[in-house]
Amino acid sequence: MMKCREVSGLVSTGDVETAPLRTRLGVWMHIAMCRHCRRFQRQLQRLRRRAKNAADEAAAEMPADLPERVLQQLPRE
Amino acid sequence: MSDARSIIDALRNRDETVLRRIVEANTRKLYRAARGMGHSSEEADDLVQDVFLTFMTSLDRFEGRSAVSTWLYGILLRKVQERRRQVTRERTHDPIDEAWEASFKADGTWLRQPVDAESALTGRQMGAAIRDCMAGLPGPARDVFVLRQIEELSAEEVRNVLDLTITHIGVLLHRARLRMRACLDGKGWRTTA
Repeated sequence: MMKCREVSGLVSTGDVETAPLRTRLGVWMHIAMCRHCRRFQRQLQRLRRRAKNAADEAAAEMPADLPERVLQQLPRE
Repeated sequence: MSDARSIIDALRNRDETVLRRIVEANTRKLYRAARGMGHSSEEADDLVQDVFLTFMTSLDRFEGRSAVSTWLYGILLRKVQERRRQVTRERTHDPIDEAWEASFKADGTWLRQPVDAESALTGRQMGAAIRDCMAGLPGPARDVFVLRQIEELSAEEVRNVLDLTITHIGVLLHRARLRMRACLDGKGWRTTA
């Protein structure tokens, strides 16, 4: 049985996605049974959503004419 | 990738339709990433223009192995690093690693147990808190956090952009997430019991 430290570390580094099947199964089984690691995983998911929302708010400040200005200044020769 | 190659061929032939499509599809993403990496609105505006100028003058170096957007992120990263004047090297030892280890008992179970993080902050306050905490991240960790979490690039794509190993990218993402979590914890987004 994998320990919380190992499971949450793999979740946080993003290494679960590319881990061998046996490790991924171990992580899934652990998370299914451990509410603390489930909460940690949910925290990271929320952090990702919040960070994306914050970045989208900043991106909304992009001047609407920027793509056009980019196109105008590019060399055509 | 043949798609990327055909796009580059069209650009070399100065195909205006393809050029417009590439610019319109990527300007906002690059602007968002530049803001996420700590640049002001004016700086991000300038960086985006600079990225496309470099892109168009370096088409011959593009081999079509990655998507055009990944190539553009790579140019952006190099420009961001140039503007930082020096590439901030991530420390091999980081105090956040010790804080992480201290979250666990000797048997590997949680000592400081995570809770369902909720916050009394409004959406706008949370946005400001997130941006404030991101500003405190060391350069390389911040770059990885922006590319992996906000721009949603895979670890493989980030490797192409940053020229780091997949393992190192994982370590930087982990440290960035822990720092963000700890920073937000101090701003009313409680993460542990």
